[in-house]
Amino acid sequence: MSNKPLYGDATSKPSTRNVGGWIKDLDRSRRAGPYLAAHPMDNMGMSTKAVHAGTHDDPRTGAVGTPIYQTSTFILHEETYGSIEEGFGRDRFIYTRYGNPSQWAVQEKLATLEGAESALVFSSGMAAISAAVLALVDKGAHVVAASDLYGGTYNLFNQEFPSLGMSATLVDSYDIDAIEAAIQPNTQLLYFETITNPVLKVVDIPALVDIARRHNLRLVVDSTFAPPPVMKPLELGVDLVVHSASKYLNGHSDLIAGVVCGPRKLVDMIWPRLLNYGGQLDPHAAFLLERGLKTLDIRMRAHEQSAMALATFLETHPSVDNVLYPMLPSHPDHIRAKELMKMGTGNVTFFVKGGDQAALRLLDHLHLPKQATSLGGIESLISLPFNSSQATMTARQRADIGIHPGCVRLSVGIEDANDLIADFDHALNAITDMKGAA
Amino acid sequence: MRNNIPTAALSEFVNEVSGNPEEGLMSYGIEIDWESGTRARTSTKPMLVGPHKVSRSFTWKADEPRQLMGNNHGPNPQELLLSGLGSCMMVAFVAGATAEGIQLESVKIDFDGTLDLRGFMGLGTNATVGFPEINYVINVVGDGTPEQFEELHRKAIAHSPNAQTIVNPVSLTGEIVSKQIDD
Repeated sequence: MSNKPLYGDATSKPSTRNVGGWIKDLDRSRRAGPYLAAHPMDNMGMSTKAVHAGTHDDPRTGAVGTPIYQTSTFILHEETYGSIEEGFGRDRFIYTRYGNPSQWAVQEKLATLEGAESALVFSSGMAAISAAVLALVDKGAHVVAASDLYGGTYNLFNQEFPSLGMSATLVDSYDIDAIEAAIQPNTQLLYFETITNPVLKVVDIPALVDIARRHNLRLVVDSTFAPPPVMKPLELGVDLVVHSASKYLNGHSDLIAGVVCGPRKLVDMIWPRLLNYGGQLDPHAAFLLERGLKTLDIRMRAHEQSAMALATFLETHPSVDNVLYPMLPSHPDHIRAKELMKMGTGNVTFFVKGGDQAALRLLDHLHLPKQATSLGGIESLISLPFNSSQATMTARQRADIGIHPGCVRLSVGIEDANDLIADFDHALNAITDMKGAA
Repeated sequence: MRNNIPTAALSEFVNEVSGNPEEGLMSYGIEIDWESGTRARTSTKPMLVGPHKVSRSFTWKADEPRQLMGNNHGPNPQELLLSGLGSCMMVAFVAGATAEGIQLESVKIDFDGTLDLRGFMGLGTNATVGFPEINYVINVVGDGTPEQFEELHRKAIAHSPNAQTIVNPVSLTGEIVSKQIDD
């Protein structure tokens, strides 16, 4: 037990003052953190990091695990006074909109898992994405992004960007030449998703890194569909990784959160946007996210195991036209998936014979998967793009991005594979019998 | 945020550039289009901060007063030259003050310069074409001592890229790409 007060990251100090000195005499250097520089775990395994990184036992009572610091504000002290005027307020506990130990704990864990110098958590994935994108663009900027972006991100570029005097060109994330051709003199940023939704394209991230470097651009990727046990985009040369933490990272479909991970330099540029736009994560939600993250690695293994078994089964079923699962040799990106993904995930997309009406009947006959959007939870979630995520598109527009009739978007949870297979077998046979087909 | 400059980030940037000089290379560009008479429009090109591109969507116009055959639609090139010089000195002064921990309340720089247009006109005199001298006064209010401000003034000039471009010979190289039209 210890009563030693913590005012923030004690390793973070103001630059010493040199009266009569010049700018070159400033001696504060950038370092990982807050906290991360003092707790390196680089040589440890993913599950060890998931359990221990960022989790700090209560110093007063010895209670194991990070306490929930459910507070809006912190008692000021000599150590915290001056941190704002000196410009390192991010490293002190002052006010929960600026930072809070419950947020720091989960940020330290997420940064460690992603192999990042720094991380910031937000009240949603979109809060994280908006703050990260707007920190990296300036007046008149242009962004090249994927044409099949998550709808929320699409709305940021389509609805908000023009009002801010900025623009975006959306390009097929498979078409590397078109992506490069879309770069304009005022392009500042490339924004892509590592694995797309719902057709699960595995995007050629190394090719995008190469384009970004040659054109002096920043590359931000949304890796919600590929959490750290699957892919660590920063290791591939990406500048920033964003996630909806509501999905695999938290894993229990019981909170909304987002995160940005990357070099301290860039994450420190995002912090003022977090302050200005709002979108801080409540300490209680931070606690839930930290707890969920502790099982990330073993959950991902369970997701992969059940999804691989179910996808393999679906591929053999006569009522299924086609299955998209990157770890199956039948997936168009299977070779790239083997290169870029350390393991599979729970996302399986498949097409039932009989089109969208047959898919609707399938959902009614399933017992285990919940009919709901979202993904990455321990429970299987199932939805149809035609009447949910891509409902505003025409059938032709959907087909253009690979969403053909009968498309089913499935996020396989951690249920036992045999139970899922039995449920799908029953439901698929039921709709086949109703059609009177073989 | 003393003087609204984040000292910690300034310090971190200085030390980053010290270790990685590429991050300290700034590349700028502008384009100037003739509009009409003595009026021209300047647009900034994207710049590079280290190896990172930054959008710079700014335009402004320059013009001459009517007495000099213009329409007085904007500051003239001499005023813009002094503005570029003084704004750069201002950044150096404020950044230097911040690094020393001096809190500023107000800073104002007052510039004056006189040039003899006979040089421009090519009249056969000994008049220099450009400014023979530029005079300025910095009015500063802050918690530094007069000696500190005097020393800060000296360092701001010594480290201001635009001041040093003005006081030192600089090579100006250019070419012309022309196309003759049939009239």
